[in-house]
Amino acid sequence: MSDGGNATPALLRVDDLHVQVDGKAILRGLSFAVRAGEVHAVMGPNGSGKSTFANVLAGKADYEVKAGAVAFDGESLLELAPEERARRGVFLAFQYPVEIPGVSNMEFLKAAVDAQALAAGHSEPAAVDFIKAARQAAADLGLSADFLRRGVNEGFSGGEKKRNEILQMLLLRPRLAILDETDSGLDIDALKVVAQGINAFRAADNAVVLVTHYQRLLHHVVPDQVHVLSGGAIVRSGDASLALALEEKGYGWLDG
Amino acid sequence: MAGSTDEAAALARQLLRRRANDNGYAPWLDRRRCRAVIERQGLPAPRSEEWRHTNLAPWYAAARAAGDGEIHTRVQAPAGVRTLDFADPQAAALARRHGACLFDVTEHPLAAVNSLLLGAGVVVHAPAAAQPTEPVRIERLGAPFQHVLVVVEPGASLVVVEEAAQFTHRIVECVIGANAELTHLRRQGASTGCECGLVAARVAAGGRYTLAQTSLGARLRRNDVLVELDGAEAQARVFGAWRLDGQTHLDNQVLVRHAKGGGNSRQTYRGVAADRSRAVLCGGIHIAPGADGTDAALSAKNLLASRTAQVFAKPALRIHASDVQCAHGATVGALDPDAIHYLRSRGVGEEAARALLVRGFLTEAVRDPAGARAVGLLP
Repeated sequence: MSDGGNATPALLRVDDLHVQVDGKAILRGLSFAVRAGEVHAVMGPNGSGKSTFANVLAGKADYEVKAGAVAFDGESLLELAPEERARRGVFLAFQYPVEIPGVSNMEFLKAAVDAQALAAGHSEPAAVDFIKAARQAAADLGLSADFLRRGVNEGFSGGEKKRNEILQMLLLRPRLAILDETDSGLDIDALKVVAQGINAFRAADNAVVLVTHYQRLLHHVVPDQVHVLSGGAIVRSGDASLALALEEKGYGWLDG
Repeated sequence: MAGSTDEAAALARQLLRRRANDNGYAPWLDRRRCRAVIERQGLPAPRSEEWRHTNLAPWYAAARAAGDGEIHTRVQAPAGVRTLDFADPQAAALARRHGACLFDVTEHPLAAVNSLLLGAGVVVHAPAAAQPTEPVRIERLGAPFQHVLVVVEPGASLVVVEEAAQFTHRIVECVIGANAELTHLRRQGASTGCECGLVAARVAAGGRYTLAQTSLGARLRRNDVLVELDGAEAQARVFGAWRLDGQTHLDNQVLVRHAKGGGNSRQTYRGVAADRSRAVLCGGIHIAPGADGTDAALSAKNLLASRTAQVFAKPALRIHASDVQCAHGATVGALDPDAIHYLRSRGVGEEAARALLVRGFLTEAVRDPAGARAVGLLP
């Protein structure tokens, strides 16, 4: 995909990416680019490869890249360990956040923020400042005070898990946030809160990729571009109106 | 396991050559009985069920070579709590009054060896309704064979920190009176020695006993724990957290016995075995006939941190009453790769992620965080 003549280089550029899982081809020549300051939505039916795309960017094991390239800020991402990607500013909000009993949410957040600060050559933020920031961010997302003391995602409702991902995004301030079906399983109020979090995060120096099955999040977070993933490749791209057309006509419309 | 039988016989011979009372220390202990038990049944052979996973040969050798001890016993007690050496006649009176011993020597022959070779004994006594704010600290016991008797009289509440290191065998008996409470923090740091011990606690009606064991590995470490809930509504909480590495060995054999109804017990174990270490856990719940209304649960989770480490985990339930609740679960597994990836995806390096997950795993069974830090279980 070209940069459309825009002089700003892509923050993330994916070229002709082919990925297999358990020997089965899932992504088949996916190309995609997003610039800083943009929000892109990647939509598609179940099994189209959306989550594979998100996970392969985050460096999950068991995803075999057969061909293609992924560049983040001009540097190849695929050779980097997951933590190296994170330290460069890539963040994935998980579709199914993992429960970690015995590790408090606060401890987890602090470990992540500290690791990224140290990797960037900064000192760890003072505990008191960090705790204050974490409490504020949690409150903004409508999460109660004890939420930070509980085990990571342990016994969280589906909505709490998704909000916890947004909380991490707000505290880690990545340059690229990939949100993998963060809207699924949210009631309408939680959806609005999550959308507010994403909108608050949007800035000229970062980019957001919303991976979603449904259009409803896009009512609240208006994307600059919408891409439709089908059969492991992007089959159509357009502006926000493409999402509305999909909602009206369904994914089958594209096959016609 | 070769050699254990010979070593057992050699130690038994050595003990039986002594006259019953040639150990002049604490003559009130029933050494005649201990002698008779060893004479009649010998010492445990390697194939006996209770010692299946622990080869006692090095312990027998250590027991045969053990001296009398040279260091002084040191116990710190807050005001209002008495500590008495076993040499003190009042210690004998207290022991007799409270009916120690609380265990069957025929089932614990190493405790018989202990009594025959005893060199350091101390009684800790919290009088009725005492509520000291500071704990009793057992800092040092001055001989390889040791015996501690803790008596918490009705309505009293006490914390005992057992931190003395380096012993061959230690008995800790705990008598918890009606509506009394004892919190027993047992700290076992890394050791190159062979250490066996027996904790025997009896809890009267409405009493509560909490045992928090924090263990690193030793060349051989065996903890037998026997808790008897001997009155209505008595409670027991047993926590065990351990982390083994190198070629260390830890064998925990715990039995909570509900003798009377309405009792409540929880056993929570979390262990990590790395390198070529070996962890053994037998967590037992016995519910006696008539102990209706009992509520007992046991949760044991083990983490295998290497392919060469070994874990043997076995719950042992014997339920002789009908109106009871009894839940148990034991697992052995590895760290969750998805959890490692989740942490790494947030910028935490792989080693740090594993360390954090291990810490979180152990935390569920840590009820003595200061102890966990002191022995090096947690950073």
